[in-house]
Amino acid sequence: MSTTDPQSDALTGEATPRGLRRWSRRPVDASPATAARLRRRSRQRRRVANVAGLMAALVLTGTLYSALSPAHATQESNATESSAEAAGRELYERSCITCHGENLEGVPTRGPSLIGVGEAAVYFQVHTGRMPLVRQEAQAPDKPAVFSDEEIDQLMAYVQANGGGPTLPSGDLRDGDLAEGGELFRLNCASCHNFVGEGGALSSGKRAPNLEDSNDLEIYTAMLSGPENMPVFGDNQLTPEEKRSIINYIQTVKEQADPGGFGAGRLGPSAEGLVIWVVGIAALMFGIFWMGSKA
Amino acid sequence: MSTRESAPGSTGGADVPGPLHGGPDDDYSPEQLAAMSREELDLLGARYDSVQVLHVDPGPEPGSAVEKQAVRQVALTFALAGVAAFAAFVVYVGSGWFLPDWQWNITDTGWSALFTPLIGALGGLALTLVGVGMVLYTKKLLPHETAVQDKHDGSHFDRVTTGATLVGGLHDSGLARRKLITRSLVFMGSGIGLMLLMPLGGLIRNPNTGDPLGTTSWAEGVRLVRDDGSPIRPGDQQPGSLETVFPAVPGGNRQSDAATMLIRLRPEQLSVDRPRTGQEDFGYGDYVAYSKICTHAGCPVSLYEQETSRILCPCHQSQFDVTQGARPVFGPATRPLPQLPITVDDEGFFVARSDYIEAVGPTYWNRERI
Amino acid sequence: MARTATAPGVPTTALGKAALEVDDRLIVAGPLRRTLNKVFPDHWSFLLGEIALYAFVILLLSGTYLTFFYDASLREVVYDGSYAPLRGLEMSAAYDSALYLSFDVRGGLFVRQVHHWAALLFVAAIVVHLLRIFFTGAFRRPRETNWLIGVGLLLLALGEGFTGYSLPDDLLSGTGLRIASAIILSIPVVGTWVHWAVFNGDYVGEFVIGRFYIAHVLIIPAILLALIAVHLLILVKQKHTQFPGPGRTEHNVVGNRLFPAFAAKAGGLFFIVFGVVAALGGLVQINPVWLWGPYNPAQVSSASQPDWYIMFLDGSTRLFPAWDINLPGDYNIPALFWPTVVIAGLIFTVLALYPMIERKLTRDTASHHLLQRPRDVPVRTSLGVMALTFYIVLMLSGANDVIAERFDISLNAMTWAGRIGVLILPPIAYVLSYRICLGLQKHDREVLEHGLETGVIRRLPHGEFIEVHQPLGPVDEHGHSQLAYGGAPVPKRMNQVGGARRAIRGFFTPIEEPAQVELEQRRDEQGLAAAESRELTTSGRPSDGGRPQEPRD
Repeated sequence: MSTTDPQSDALTGEATPRGLRRWSRRPVDASPATAARLRRRSRQRRRVANVAGLMAALVLTGTLYSALSPAHATQESNATESSAEAAGRELYERSCITCHGENLEGVPTRGPSLIGVGEAAVYFQVHTGRMPLVRQEAQAPDKPAVFSDEEIDQLMAYVQANGGGPTLPSGDLRDGDLAEGGELFRLNCASCHNFVGEGGALSSGKRAPNLEDSNDLEIYTAMLSGPENMPVFGDNQLTPEEKRSIINYIQTVKEQADPGGFGAGRLGPSAEGLVIWVVGIAALMFGIFWMGSKA
Repeated sequence: MSTRESAPGSTGGADVPGPLHGGPDDDYSPEQLAAMSREELDLLGARYDSVQVLHVDPGPEPGSAVEKQAVRQVALTFALAGVAAFAAFVVYVGSGWFLPDWQWNITDTGWSALFTPLIGALGGLALTLVGVGMVLYTKKLLPHETAVQDKHDGSHFDRVTTGATLVGGLHDSGLARRKLITRSLVFMGSGIGLMLLMPLGGLIRNPNTGDPLGTTSWAEGVRLVRDDGSPIRPGDQQPGSLETVFPAVPGGNRQSDAATMLIRLRPEQLSVDRPRTGQEDFGYGDYVAYSKICTHAGCPVSLYEQETSRILCPCHQSQFDVTQGARPVFGPATRPLPQLPITVDDEGFFVARSDYIEAVGPTYWNRERI
Repeated sequence: MARTATAPGVPTTALGKAALEVDDRLIVAGPLRRTLNKVFPDHWSFLLGEIALYAFVILLLSGTYLTFFYDASLREVVYDGSYAPLRGLEMSAAYDSALYLSFDVRGGLFVRQVHHWAALLFVAAIVVHLLRIFFTGAFRRPRETNWLIGVGLLLLALGEGFTGYSLPDDLLSGTGLRIASAIILSIPVVGTWVHWAVFNGDYVGEFVIGRFYIAHVLIIPAILLALIAVHLLILVKQKHTQFPGPGRTEHNVVGNRLFPAFAAKAGGLFFIVFGVVAALGGLVQINPVWLWGPYNPAQVSSASQPDWYIMFLDGSTRLFPAWDINLPGDYNIPALFWPTVVIAGLIFTVLALYPMIERKLTRDTASHHLLQRPRDVPVRTSLGVMALTFYIVLMLSGANDVIAERFDISLNAMTWAGRIGVLILPPIAYVLSYRICLGLQKHDREVLEHGLETGVIRRLPHGEFIEVHQPLGPVDEHGHSQLAYGGAPVPKRMNQVGGARRAIRGFFTPIEEPAQVELEQRRDEQGLAAAESRELTTSGRPSDGGRPQEPRD
């Protein structure tokens, strides 16, 4: 299925329409103050979670330190590094190195190694705002991305060049069979993400996110990289065509209207039960109160 | 009654009321009734039904402003109901004729997605307004009366006389004395009852024949295939992945007990992997295969959290740890998910080494015995 | 007695003549008059059962329409309808016909949704009706039979709902059917045999949808219909209960006659119920089976739940600990058995037997036609609230994954909260409602003794401030009223005892003269006073037609 949605375009150039829209909607720079302001505003603020204040302090300290101290860590850079990779390295050393360590090798108990995760994982984690992490929780929450699309490209280039791993797909990510995508979605994805991608609860405070705001590339890279608790769906398990079919199904169903009226979150019986009591029974109770009242 | 003929030879109803005839027709002659007003007749009949009308609030004065306003309200409600009903009819009939087609396709968010909501809104409005109009009419225009009706307890007379009739009839039948008949009746009754229930025996089938609950289609050498029937090589999955596999038999992907999860553990998981005793060699390398059918209520478990190694069942939230032989670690499930012994055949594809060594799916009474 | 054409009382209008023809043949005038004259008490809560009745009528109408299109078969077909995301998939004929009905039949989706909403409303109205009966003591002798029939109706409604929910054979209902299969298997000794009898073999087989279909459209509705008829006949025979109040005794019913006032209101309510269900059916999407997908035993979705009325069983199953009972001889009783078969059995047994239990405990075997206000029977009320709390915790636990997901609470924490809550919240609810009942009673007694608070503050000569109370009846030398506590509502504000004139009618401009309103109100008061002073118990028939007099009390 072809589409004109700019969100489905592969992330190839620096000045994609999405990037522009993102800039115009929400001026972002990478300064900690702005990021913190944004975070305050974000809906994640509502969450009640156990705060690992120590981790937040560590991140902040690390960020400040790497921002203030002279760039000494670039000693390993060699002549073959492109300008994008160099910029990515700088971003990495400013925002990621505290947890993921020098040279992507990870820091025990703090952050995993990024060797072999590839640009797909970087795209997913950074573009959905999961990284950089604010604090250690059961699960990294998705939030507005901290980095611009250009910066994400640079980070991807750096991690890909130094760690290797799955790369981003190209072409139309919705170029697949709708019905087959649905069948694969129900077999592989619905168990956590619900029938139509509404998301669901996992054990002990973790959750499979709602796919409402996910763009094609995010879904694709999530399948490819298996972020956090999500299983990996490598290309030999779900072929790129099958992945495109699944994306086609998710996005089509997401965008389609509800022909039967208000969809009630497409949550099924629990929402319907709420409606019959809060709307149906309540309306009729009002009715019989009125009928019983004196004229 | 007015047309009843009393000609000789007519077998119509009795012309002369029997001696036991009685009731209001004796109390009130037609002439008396004809002399009464309609209200009086109404109240008279009500009194025969033990109803007394205590108080009547006659409703608004005819021609008064209150009445006029109420009439306008009720009429307007009914008229609006009519408008909504006709509109619903027009939407229903006109779609695809002079209105856009009603048939919905997934790309349309316009008229066809509004067809059902419009029918519902207009139809619901019409019906609700009909009801509202009727209630308004009752409340604002009908006289309000307070009536009281007597309740009667059971009549002693009725009880005694009915009892006499019943006991008398039973006595006359002589069943109490003729024991042989009573006994044969009981015998016959049970026989007939059993005979009539007999066809239900067709529903009863032996669940233990061939042990269908304890066996699946998995067997030695049966390949693990995907939903589309393609076999799987050890290199196909990434560490930290899960794939639902089925036995390579006809219809294997539709069987209710065969679905199996083929999981490739990450190195960190493999290092802490503790399979159940006697099943240490059921996996293959970093691959393990567990039944997808929950041992609690039979839902397909597959909410696999690859970092915490947990598999969650979406129906009742049982949680199983794949590095602990899929033992339940939370929730109502009591038994681990059965593990399928797997290996790789000559062509390098996964095959089962045997069927599951225990029954998959929910527990039942004699599960351990089979 | 033979009448001629000129006899007095012979109808002259065409309608009257037709009525005479009918009555000549069927002799319906007497029974019809008795029916039309039947008095129904006027209270909003007596209409709750009617909502359930009308929902049932809507279910019969819409369900009949659905059978024109539904194909109760698990035969595999390939979908070729108009919903693109499923086209080309293999599915059962049942699911295929549900999709056909939804997308390729004009108005089919609307009727399907109306049917489903009416089903949810049917059970909800039954439950609310049951609560009204319970909390007002309307189940007491002589109405235990109707209580039992009512509980039977509720059970049948649950069965009807579950079989209907299973018919589309979508991924959601198939998951529910899978759990039902496991529940049947969990029954000790006979579980597998019962399963084989219901499913004609192992899960899922070819038979179950066809059997559920005939149960859903024939067997259960027929029993429901018969029981509803008996329920109503007994109601008519026993006459309706009423709340205590002026002129209301155990031996009469005060209210409106069926015709025309009550009939018009009841008819109006039918249309309102139909209207609300129709509006929901069009405006709020319910059970979008096309989003759920066809059933496949290997597939599942998170947040798979039954409809709300079965949710309490899903909740109890989620909360129950993992306790298999292993018996000697390698037999075992699965953990699943207790929170499903046993708890449901216990809940409905206790519910059905409650009138007998209460009769045993209170030793109250008298007939009651006057209702009790919940506050006047604190033990029963508190037991009811306790049971309701238990039920609600179970029901919420049935949706605990959705709650966990929507409110970002840990799923495991939700489970533990449910486990603890189901044990400690009901006793807390008992104590709280007991105290509230006593408090409300106490306030009623205070008002009866001291009178209404008028809000008028007076300063006594020695400086003390008191609030002036308006006594409700004659007072003794201490200013205490002599009114006894009668279990009837006590006015709590001056306006309720005529402290204020009723509002002048008219929405934008007054359409009445204030003076007239005052006159009317005075007339009303006189009328009521006259009515109350009349002796109620002697209002019998003027004559019993020469039959022997029944003893009267």
